[in-house]
Amino acid sequence: MNDKFTSYAHPEAIVDTEWLSQNLDNPAIRIIESNEDVLLYETGHVPGAVHIDWRRDLQDDDIRDYINPEEFAALCSRNGIASDTVCVFYGDKSNWWSCYALWAFRMFGHTNIRIVDGGRAKWFAENRPTTRETPSFPATDYPVPEKRLDDEVRAFAKETLAHAEAGKPLVDVRSPGEFRGDVTHMPDYPQEGVLRGGHIPGAQSTPWSTAANEDATFKSREQLEEIYTKNLNLDPEGETIVYCRIGERSSHTWFVLTYLLGYANVRNYDGSWTEWGNTVRAPIEKGD
Amino acid sequence: MKNGSSDYPERLREIIEFFDSLEEVEKRENLIAYADNAPKQEPREGEAFDLEDVRKDEECTDTVGVYLRVEEGNRSCFRIALGPQVQTLTRAMTAILCTGLNGSPPESILDIRQDFVPKIVGGELVRIRSQTVYYVLGRMKGACKAYMHRRDRDSI
Repeated sequence: MNDKFTSYAHPEAIVDTEWLSQNLDNPAIRIIESNEDVLLYETGHVPGAVHIDWRRDLQDDDIRDYINPEEFAALCSRNGIASDTVCVFYGDKSNWWSCYALWAFRMFGHTNIRIVDGGRAKWFAENRPTTRETPSFPATDYPVPEKRLDDEVRAFAKETLAHAEAGKPLVDVRSPGEFRGDVTHMPDYPQEGVLRGGHIPGAQSTPWSTAANEDATFKSREQLEEIYTKNLNLDPEGETIVYCRIGERSSHTWFVLTYLLGYANVRNYDGSWTEWGNTVRAPIEKGD
Repeated sequence: MKNGSSDYPERLREIIEFFDSLEEVEKRENLIAYADNAPKQEPREGEAFDLEDVRKDEECTDTVGVYLRVEEGNRSCFRIALGPQVQTLTRAMTAILCTGLNGSPPESILDIRQDFVPKIVGGELVRIRSQTVYYVLGRMKGACKAYMHRRDRDSI
């Protein structure tokens, strides 16, 4: 195993590109690509990888919520994923969306999950094999989960407000300008309809990118503990809520805290700023 | 007011009609094919332009350079250079618009309505990436407007 991984709280939740290259034909795994760029998968991907789109496949098209357990079982079935399949996620943008997809799988109780350290960028930078061929796998009989485990990994606005009012740790992982309220979207991205800028009162600012290296890999456990446990003073056994703009960057931080540092109770407020910044009378703080 | 696809420059009209006839999956396949051809739209060595507009906007994930030369007969010739982080859909629209609009007068490009875009990329992608799909057309129109403004000013 990669030396860096052995120090993580859950080294089984992360693999490197070398491991992936040696397991392309492993029938026990399913490689899953999830991206920000909606057409990127079609331009080339890891051989054997299926594509799960965060919006088309994981979200309800009518109300702002995730698919239901029946739809999740159907998604897994058509992608050849069984309940014991090890799902190995990778994607663009330093694995934002692959962490988001992994988080969604975890929400349905699928715990055999891995992230490819460095994601798509590292795989391509290393000139590893790619293909445009879309794989096809026999449908599985994925059991319909009893329920979605929202309570375990997800926070809603009311819970987040109560959490903030109780002075419990809340981590805003957006860019500093978004946190201060100078802008309502991250640099390089379009405004997506948020009416107010700022942050949830009491939130601490630690952009998601502080957990990542230049090559999109995760920082070492020692570095991550310095950022989150020491500097932010987060309690590994306490309750922590993370949020961003729509829940994708905070999925990255959720993965770091939960799997790399082993925090016991971290939830992702996926409504995030696009909900909070539009909610009538929701309290907002501006500035540092 | 312009409404029908017959109002578009001929090459663009052909592309619109082609995409409009495709199913969503086929649209995506053809968008990828156009995206693959985006590098062919970059400026070529030794080319001179009447206007160069290279910048990084908030609406796009990387720098986009728009180069415009207006040739004899008031024919526009666009070249567009895209940074490596520019998304695939923007790459595709770049190749489509360069192919569809090169040869048209700047005035007519400025007048083109953007309601053809959903016919090309499909409703799903417009919904997901509503600003991305219009970005390159906006930049090309901006270049035409700046060129025309300068031309008119210089002719006084």
